[in-house]
Amino acid sequence: MGALAAAIAIGLAALGAGIGNGLIVSKTVEGMARQPEASGLLRTTMFIGVGLVEAIPIMGVVIAFIALFA
Amino acid sequence: MPDIKVIFTRSTKYLFFLLALFVLGWGFTTYQTVFAGLILGTTISFFNLWLLYRKSIKLSEAVANGRTVYSLGSISRLASAALVVLIAIRYPEYFNILSSIIGIMTTYFVIIIDLIFLRVIKGKQQEER
Repeated sequence: MGALAAAIAIGLAALGAGIGNGLIVSKTVEGMARQPEASGLLRTTMFIGVGLVEAIPIMGVVIAFIALFA
Repeated sequence: MPDIKVIFTRSTKYLFFLLALFVLGWGFTTYQTVFAGLILGTTISFFNLWLLYRKSIKLSEAVANGRTVYSLGSISRLASAALVVLIAIRYPEYFNILSSIIGIMTTYFVIIIDLIFLRVIKGKQQEER
């Protein structure tokens, strides 16, 4: 059951983060292509957004490894 | 909103302050495993932030030059968090696992608090104008 819990935790967290990261990066690249002069602002927003989105799968990985090995 | 380099520099400064506090706590208190876990987690969290900064700059340069970027380095960041957990589980006599996990999340707390701080300062400056 520990392996199943780890797989569900890491899989669902990675799924959500993948969708979120994809949306963030696609919109950022689109914005950079439309307005190259705003690329600094978009880059900052993407940096913060990707960083905060990845907090959840990192916690998923932590919970998965604790469920597997602790 | 400030440039990515400004945000990274500010976060780096606060993370170094926090790391110095943790080292002091490790050296001068009896909670050595707790502070060692915090140092381990914060160091890896710092590495994650640097990796994200580097990849973000590479992405924006690639967009500007019409090149392709294949990854933002998510797997490396997840693997580094897994490494912290494995080290904390393998050596519980040196690292407290709970404080290691809190250490991994330090960067996110720093970024969020710094952003709120910047927003408040910017809002006050705009009100004064």
